[in-house]
Formats: sequence, structure tokens, C-alpha cells
Amino acid sequence: MRKQVPLLLTFCAGMIPIVALFVPERHVSTVSTTLDSWLIIVAGFALLLGVVNVVQMNTNKIRRKTSGWPYAVVLLAGLAIMGTFGFAGAFGGFGGIATRLDGTSTPFDWLYQNAFLPLQGTMFALLAFFMASASYRAFRARNVEATILLIAALIVMFGRIPFGEMVTKWFPLTTEWIMAKPNMAAQRGIMIGAGLGAASMALRVIVGIERSYLGLGKGE
Amino acid sequence: MPISSRNRVCFLPLAAILLAVLPFLLFSASVDGQPPPETTGSTLVSETPPADTVAGQPPAVEGLTAADTPDDEGGSVTVKWTEPAGAAELGLTYRVMRADSPDGQYTEVCELAAGENEFMDAGLTDGQQYCYKVFSIVGPGTAESGPTAPASPRGNWFRMYRLNALILLLVFSGSVLYYISRARRAKPIYIRKIAGLNAVDEAVGRATEMGKKILYIPGIMSIDEIQTIASLAILGHVARLSAQYNADLEVPNKDPLTFASARETVKEAYLEAGRPDLFREEMVNYVTYDQFAYTASVTGKMVRERPATNFLIGSFYAESLLLAESGQSVGAIQISGTAEVAQLPFFVVACDYTLIGEELYAASAYLSREPVLLGSIKGQDLTKLLLMLALGLGVILESFGVAFVKDAFRMH
Amino acid sequence: MNLERIMQIDRRIVYLFVAAGTILPIVFVIGLPVSITPPVQMAFDRMEDLDPGDVIMVSFDYGPSSAPENAPMADAALRHCFSKGIRVIVIALYPLGGLSEAVNELNKVVAEFPDLEYGVDYVNLGYKDGAQAAMRKMNENIHEVFPTDVRGTPISEIPLMREVRTYADLELCFSLATGIIGEWWANLVNAQFGLPVIVGPTAVSAPKYYAYLEAKQMAGLLGGLKGASEYERLVLDKYPDLERVYATPGLYTATKGMDVQSIVHLIMIAFILFGNVVYFTGKRRPRKAA
Repeated sequence: MRKQVPLLLTFCAGMIPIVALFVPERHVSTVSTTLDSWLIIVAGFALLLGVVNVVQMNTNKIRRKTSGWPYAVVLLAGLAIMGTFGFAGAFGGFGGIATRLDGTSTPFDWLYQNAFLPLQGTMFALLAFFMASASYRAFRARNVEATILLIAALIVMFGRIPFGEMVTKWFPLTTEWIMAKPNMAAQRGIMIGAGLGAASMALRVIVGIERSYLGLGKGE
Repeated sequence: MPISSRNRVCFLPLAAILLAVLPFLLFSASVDGQPPPETTGSTLVSETPPADTVAGQPPAVEGLTAADTPDDEGGSVTVKWTEPAGAAELGLTYRVMRADSPDGQYTEVCELAAGENEFMDAGLTDGQQYCYKVFSIVGPGTAESGPTAPASPRGNWFRMYRLNALILLLVFSGSVLYYISRARRAKPIYIRKIAGLNAVDEAVGRATEMGKKILYIPGIMSIDEIQTIASLAILGHVARLSAQYNADLEVPNKDPLTFASARETVKEAYLEAGRPDLFREEMVNYVTYDQFAYTASVTGKMVRERPATNFLIGSFYAESLLLAESGQSVGAIQISGTAEVAQLPFFVVACDYTLIGEELYAASAYLSREPVLLGSIKGQDLTKLLLMLALGLGVILESFGVAFVKDAFRMH
Repeated sequence: MNLERIMQIDRRIVYLFVAAGTILPIVFVIGLPVSITPPVQMAFDRMEDLDPGDVIMVSFDYGPSSAPENAPMADAALRHCFSKGIRVIVIALYPLGGLSEAVNELNKVVAEFPDLEYGVDYVNLGYKDGAQAAMRKMNENIHEVFPTDVRGTPISEIPLMREVRTYADLELCFSLATGIIGEWWANLVNAQFGLPVIVGPTAVSAPKYYAYLEAKQMAGLLGGLKGASEYERLVLDKYPDLERVYATPGLYTATKGMDVQSIVHLIMIAFILFGNVVYFTGKRRPRKAA
């Protein structure tokens, strides 16, 4: 019973959007869009569960003084400060969460502009560094396939910057061709296979034979 | 390449593709030969004389029809008309008027510029009758079309334009379910070797021997992403092995729904492995909803705790290379898997094994060797074969100027 | 052995070169020329085909992390719209910072066009959670998804929104995206509801959008900073009036950002070539010894 009820719910929740895709009847679409709304609500509550977990885990870390506990202090402080200003701002406290009408920053906006934004930008910018080290390691002409990959990579890299066009206009043109034809053909091949795989997985979940995501070893 | 490639019965796919393509042919033929949808509202030709016969008066629209909007959930009527010649040059505007009966009180519904010849009037009551007139206006001059026959909106039960999608869905589901039902009786199904999945046991064993952590990252998307479910299936297997070997498993999460599900998956796996005593709540933890804050936390953990094994399986975006390259730099054995094509190159470069696209979805069947799950993969491969044949056929026919295969697969 | 060591170069040396290649062009602006590629030209032409008074949706589907790539696209798209008289409905579907980006970029661009009137020429409907569900529901009724605008004004009181209830009332959607939301505009909104879509994704996710572009599920594509710089160029060429904006000292533009990207590309190409030269030298040497 403990397993049957969730599987029955899974079946219903999975079938309703599929039926709604083909049946425009008002009642069916209402049920389907209501399910969408439920998903948003459930996700909201799950986020609350996540926050509780973060607080519990990190409080325990600090209490037990496990390795790296100062990081937990920073994390909880960040959560408390940003959370307080955000929560209060949503109800109009501290002038809201965006810029005030006179152009001055609210505390939330100030933190967003001066802490959140540069930290986010820094993390994303790390990609450039990691991409450089990874491509230095990966692009070696070890065999024919690797050589083709290397040549394509060099053409695309050259074609995407103005220097390429300064050398010859064929660089950007060849780049576009590589991106739009061989790259796209390969991507579509993977996407079609992955799409069918996803549909098959979804079907297995809906009809209840795929249960390994529930941690159960046996499919039946 | 299909995963289960040994198909003994050669004519079966050919017969199946014929069966699959036949309805498409019929569908495309029926679409071509369909009468216009607005047959329920009869046409009344304008009673107003054309403009060029009356000086100073704009031309009235012709062929005005009103009919229930097809393939919708009801509550709307579509009004169509033919624009008079030179409407744009004259700068015509059209005022659509509505009444409950042909002789009733007409009220304005909307005003449209020249170039428009169709209007969907929404928010109506199903079953009630509505009549329409259209006024053509230029400056002070107005010409009125005759009223349409009454049309009443109603909800429809099927979106005809999605018939091809339904057929494809039935062919696909049919073949998957057929092979699932056959799987118990048939001989064991062959599935090609997937190196990344073969390495799972070894990777867990290595971490156990080294006394180091196994980090399992289930992607950054929520549970409504099917890749996440596929990842949780692999997590179940990894957690069972960890329970058996008493390895140190940690699953940091970015999405709260995935977090709740992953915790259940690991808990159940430890229970099933007979070691519920080894399960600790903090094994599966929540980090943050922010993509890069999550990445910072996990890469920090990698650098500080130097796990022996990293699993990066699920749906990943810009953080894929940051995670994989950090793991690579600390010498962890890394098994990755995703169907996000843009992230695959990063994983291939920085990880030891990568599950590409459909291999990720085949993992639970591959690892459990359950006949019914393997059967579903065979069914999926059959559909893939049919699609490949249809694709080939489409390319050949398209080269000769015949477009019906392309039209049959067009989604509306 | 020495060659081995050179090949296994400490990654921090690579990082050092990349850092230098990033910082120097910011200090010493080069101003490299911009060439136009077809996907961006398609996007621009599609926007040019619109008439003044048409309404489009601009969706902020990115956060501060990818703002250096996406924000110049957003600015160029908004400047294009306002120069041409196209009316704009701004929404944000990206949970972390999408709304702040939308507010900041819109405020910045609107200040450059003093004649614009809020609620008539443009409106900011704010953020909505559950991107995919919201996108589906907007096909039925945008007013239900966004009952008020970002300032809390009921949507029925906004003149522009009285004309727009569903996707059918829009001419196009321009999504500035990081992650999957841009893809949903192409494979959900365009494929199911037929609304033409232009997406400006980050460069790292741009390759997969080519599949949607070729399948005509997208009306144009601005791939990363390069795409943004091309769009800036096209908008500037067509509306020279905007030169007054783009010439503002200290203003971050994609064209300036492209200097950095170009130099870092060159450094990476140099490292790749260096690695291969060392690799082949190493391969030849044992043969000689044998």
C-alpha cells in the first residue's frame, strides 16, 4: 500500500498533461493547468524544507566544531542578512527590494549590487580559466579524429573573433558552416536519441515499472 | 546507434514502418483535401455595393463567415472575411460587431487595420448563438457587410492538428509496452556495454578502499526534469553499493524537490541493502537554490575534502566544467552523464567516463538487468529505427520534390 | 622528460595568461571591428519587419552571473524597440536576479528615451515563478499569470495591457537567457503556440540553439557576447542617433567586451598550438633515439 498509492498518483499526474495535449476540452485543460499551479506551490514548500535543512546542518557543524565550521558561520550570516532584508523588503520594509524612487539603494538592492552580483560574475568568469586549461589538455592531435576536432576547434575559435576575419573572410563563414551543419547534425542525433530515451523513461515511470528512482532495486 | 542492436526478425521493422507511415499518409492527404473549417457558419455575401460603384464610400468586406473556433476548449468564435482589393492603399480599418441574432443589437468587439482578415472572439458562452457584421471604415465613410449566420462556440474533444503526434505517441508507447510485456517470456535481451556504468562498482570500491568520500551530484534541475529522475535511479544503485561497502556517500543538492526525492532514494537504498543503521540524514543535504553559489560550495568541498569519486549525473548547465575541472584537479575518478548536448564536451574533456544522452536513461535498466526495463529499451530502439527509416525516406523524397513525409511530421 | 614537464604545464600558468588577457584590454581599449553573422542578421531583420506600435515581450531569463553577456543584448534589443516605436512588455522568469536585471536594464534604457510613457510604451510585469508553467499559462491569459505589474498596479489599469491578453496579441518574444528557459521559448512557446521567438543565450549554450534556428523554431539567435556585439553594430548602423548613448564614457558594451574575448581566444589558440608542437617534438625524439 505504501508503494501502490504513490505509483497510482504518479500514473494520474503523468497521464493528465498527456491527455491535455490532445484534448482541448475545458475541464481537462483546467485539471492540467491546476497541476502546473500545484507544482509551483509544492516547489515553494520544498524550498522551505531546504532552508530548514541548511540551518540544521550548519548549526550542527558549528556546534560540533567539525572541520570547516567557520564557513558555516559565513553561510548562516549570509542567509540571515540577505533573507531579512529580502523578506522585509517584500512587505515594503526598508523601502522594498529595488532602487528607491529617489534613486538611492535599498539595503537589499545594495547587497545585490555590491555582493551578490560580483560574486556571481566571478564564478561564471571562472569558466574562461577552466576552459583554457581544459582545452590545453584536450586538444592534442593524437589520432585522426582528434586532429579533425583540433582543426575544427581552431577554425571556430578564430572565426568567432575579429582577428579571424582580418586574416580571411572564410574564417567566419566556415565557422558558421561548422556550427550550423556538422555541429547541428551531431547535436540532433544526440537529441533525438536522448528524447526517445527520456520518453521511454517517462513511460516506465508513469506505468510504474521504473522504481529505481525511489531507491528500490527491483523493477517489479 | 541503437542500444539493443541484435534484432533477429528483419521484416518486423519494415512492416512496422509501413504501419507507422500509413496513417501519416492518410493524415496528410486528409489535411490537404479538408474543406475549410468554417463550414458551420454559412456565408452571406455583403449586400453593400462595392466601393468603386459608389463614390466616397469604402468597399465592404466580402465572404464574411463566423464559426466555432476548431480544436479549442470552447468559448470562442472565429470570424473571417476577404479583404476588398486595395484595402491597404485605402487605409481601411475593420470594425467587428457582434449580436445575439441577425437582427439584434450589434455592439463593437474590436477594430483591426487593413491586412487583417480574421478575428477570434474569445470569452463567449458555449452554446449561445452569435452573429457578426464587419464595418469597413475610411475617414467618415463606412460600409457594412451583411450579418453572418448564427454561430455558437463549443468545446472540442480532440485537437485534430495533433493527430500525427498522437500516432507517433501510440507507435512509440505501443512498441515499448509490447517489448516490456514480451520481456519476461523472451530470451535475455542483449544490451551493448556502457563503459561508464561498468565503472560504477569500481569507482565506489575505490573510494571505500581509499577511505575517502563519494560525491554524488544529481544535476541542478528539479524533479520535473527527466534527467534528474534518471540520475536518481543511478543514485539508488550507488547508494546500495555504498551501504554494502560502508562507503562515505554525500549528495549535495541545488533543487529542493530533488533534495527531498534524493533523500528518500538513498534512505530506501540503505534500507533495501539491509544497512539502515548506516544512513545519516546529513548524507543528502541541501545547499542553495543558486546555481553558482551551489557550484562554489561543491567545488570547495572537492578541494578541501578531496573525494575519491565524483558522480556528475543529471541536467547541468554552465557549472558543468567548473565542477568537472575542479574534480579533475584533485585526482578524483569522475563518472558523468547528461543529455544536455552543450555540456557534453566539457564532461568528455574533464571526466573519466561520460554517459551520453540516451545512455543516461538506459542506466537503470543496464544496472538492474531487469528484463522488463531492458524490454523498454528494445521498444525505444524500434521507434528509433522507424524514425531513422522515415528520416532516410523523407530525405530521398524531399530530394525529388515530394514533401509528404516532412508534412506528416510537422507539428502544429 | 623536460618536454613531458612542459606538456603537463601547471594550470596556474595558463590562468595567469588568461588573467592578463582579460585585464589588459579592459585598461587599454582596442576597439576591434565587428562582423555580422546570419543568425544575428535574421534576428535584426525580424525586428525591423515589425511596425511602430507593435507589441513584443522581452523576457529576462538570466541572472547577474551571465549579465556581462546578456545585459548588452537586453540593452541593444530595448534600444532597438524604443528607437523604432515598438512597445515592450518586460517580464522576468529567472528566479535569482532576473527581476533585478529587468528593473535595472529597463530603467537604464528608458532614461535614454525621455518621451516614453510607462504603461503605454512599455511595462514591467515583474517576475513569475515556475517558468514553464507560467509560459504555458500565458497562452491562455497573461493577465492571470501577472495580475499586477512590478509596481503593484492592477494589470487591467495599464493601457498597454488592455490590448494584450494572450500570445496571439504579441508579435514576438525576445528572450535573454541563461540555462534552459531560452530553450523553452523555442521548443514550448514557439512549437506549441506559434509565437515567433528570438533568443540571446550565453555563448556556452549557443551551439544547441542552432538546432532550433535551423528548424525555424526561432526567428534569430544572438550567441553570447559576439552575438550581442553584432546586434549593437546593426542597431547603431540603422539608428545612428543611438551613437549618443553608445559613446557614453565608461558604458559597458558588448563591442568593448569582445576585445577581451578576442584576446583570450588568441591566448587559448596559442596554448593549444604550443601544446601540440611540444607533443609532436616529443613524439619525434624517441624515434631518433631508436
